[in-house]
Amino acid sequence: MILKMIDGLLNPPAPKFHGVMGIWYYVDDATDAVTALRGAGHKNLNVFSPVPHHEIEHAMEQGPSLVRWVTAVGGFLGVTGGFALCFYSIASWPLVIGGKELFSVPPMTVLGYESMILIAGLSNLLGMLALGRLPQLKQVAPYDPRFQEDRIGIWVPCSAAEAAKIEQLMKGHAAEEVQVHA
Amino acid sequence: MSSTTLKNIAVDGVNDVPDRPVTQKSLNDDVLSMVAWPGKVWWALFLFDLVVLAVALAAVRNLIVHGWGVSGFMRPVMWAVDITNFVFWVGIAHCGTLVSAVLFLFRSHFRRAVYRIAEAMTVFGVLTAAMFPAIHTGRPWFDYWLFPYPNQRQLWTNIRSPLEWDVFAVNTYLTVSSIFFLVGLIPDCAAARDRAKHPILKLIYTIFSFGWTGANYQWKHFYGAYLFFAALATPLVFSVHSVVSWDFAMAQTPGWHSTLFAPYFVAGAIFSGVGMVIFLLVIIRKGFGLQHLVTIDHMEKLAKLVLLTSCMVGYSYLTEFFMAWYGPSAAERDVFWFRATGHYWWAFWIMFSCNVIFPMSLWFKSVRRNMTALLVLSIFVNIGMWFERFVIIVTSLTRTFNPANWFYYRISITELALIVGSFAWFFMFFLVFVRVLPAFSIAEIKETLPMPKRRAH
Repeated sequence: MILKMIDGLLNPPAPKFHGVMGIWYYVDDATDAVTALRGAGHKNLNVFSPVPHHEIEHAMEQGPSLVRWVTAVGGFLGVTGGFALCFYSIASWPLVIGGKELFSVPPMTVLGYESMILIAGLSNLLGMLALGRLPQLKQVAPYDPRFQEDRIGIWVPCSAAEAAKIEQLMKGHAAEEVQVHA
Repeated sequence: MSSTTLKNIAVDGVNDVPDRPVTQKSLNDDVLSMVAWPGKVWWALFLFDLVVLAVALAAVRNLIVHGWGVSGFMRPVMWAVDITNFVFWVGIAHCGTLVSAVLFLFRSHFRRAVYRIAEAMTVFGVLTAAMFPAIHTGRPWFDYWLFPYPNQRQLWTNIRSPLEWDVFAVNTYLTVSSIFFLVGLIPDCAAARDRAKHPILKLIYTIFSFGWTGANYQWKHFYGAYLFFAALATPLVFSVHSVVSWDFAMAQTPGWHSTLFAPYFVAGAIFSGVGMVIFLLVIIRKGFGLQHLVTIDHMEKLAKLVLLTSCMVGYSYLTEFFMAWYGPSAAERDVFWFRATGHYWWAFWIMFSCNVIFPMSLWFKSVRRNMTALLVLSIFVNIGMWFERFVIIVTSLTRTFNPANWFYYRISITELALIVGSFAWFFMFFLVFVRVLPAFSIAEIKETLPMPKRRAH
């Protein structure tokens, strides 16, 4: 019963997609197809692959990830928060221990530094998940398990009228397989 | 179809493992074949592990119910085996982040085949280490007092104490290294998810993979973040064990009060951690027949890291003795003389032999490439590094400034149970890990294979 429920949860009915999915084995063929498809005005395509390929990243004109800014803000908040915690905790009960300075910079630096790393790390994780649209609960394109093995998929969302032209273009760039979802 | 052996990963050196073709698909097959219902050997090991752990839990129960009187330590040797275990396991934990983060930043390709095991070891090592200070407080139900939290009396933790720095450092390390480990697993768990037949396993991998599809926008932010995880974890590796060393160095106790401690502890942590990675890898690559993935070249590079850190640790030992002899403190001189020739001379010489003398055999290539020799040496290294922490803690505390306080500590059966139990706790996690999660990074190893191209470049 529970197993059936889990199975049903993990295998929902496939959503209806509109577009064309091409599948490649050779990286250079897939790269050429990306360039041609983008040249034909299909800028909103997605590429699926078992590993990232620099050639395809260049063809997609992908800039650097914005996650670094999220991490930097997290790091700044962490170090500020760490020092603030030290100041506040000492000021709220100013007790001299072992004859040491109340507001002593070296111990505060240790705590500020560790807080910076902690909050920057957590921000980095949240940034990656948010920008990478993870966790992905809803399929955005038809998925093929071969994309985790050795095949590259290019998904072009389009109307039924454009599908035939895209299919031709993909076949012209040596796609192993083309699936039309109209 | 393009195929290659993973000797391509090893840029130099000779690979004497028989060539076995590795393709992108066969890599998935090889790594994911480990994720299966365990056999008899695994169950026998796991049950034995649980029995040992049960004995250790009985010892912990004794400690909590009857108090610390059942252990062997008395004033002034209050840290004794608990903190020895804590520092030992934090040290073990260090290697994982070194291999995964530091070597990632340096673009050292050999790390790809070994880093997942090292990262798992890090997470389980910190989980083991964190138990000891928690138990050592004597009243673990009040451990939450260690954390700064708003309370009615505005009474905060003492941020000027190195013990409080440890709370921040170890917890940050546990959090960041766990995140780093889990993030690296995302693409591989997606591959495992696609093959899983049983709904429960499929559910586990679906959760660990976050619905990963390998889309270009996912890879872009994955590696964007991964670089920063590595950049954040690298200084963390060095800072955490430095902070642990300051638990000692900030005190004026003879044998502890030294600026050498931070680099000395970091080198020692890497030394013991790499020793443990070698121990685990020798067994796993043999047990699962993965000699073509983790080649002898990889093992030799790890052995070189052991040799390097052994030299650093040996240099630190000699520096400590030199400074004691050359410096002005009679108490310092006395403690170091006592370490080598006094009541605990046997512990000192076990430490020195295992950490400095035996690893010198790694200067020979034939030893570095012999798996039996590496297995034996890795065990010696870990015995030696446990004794290093024992020697530092016990010999200094047993012989502080006032001779009236001198006390010879003897380890009790309860503490022995805790030591053995810590290994059982660590290996319990590890045994489950190798059977449930991909123990080698499919995605990263795949990147080292030549990609299939129609046109030759």
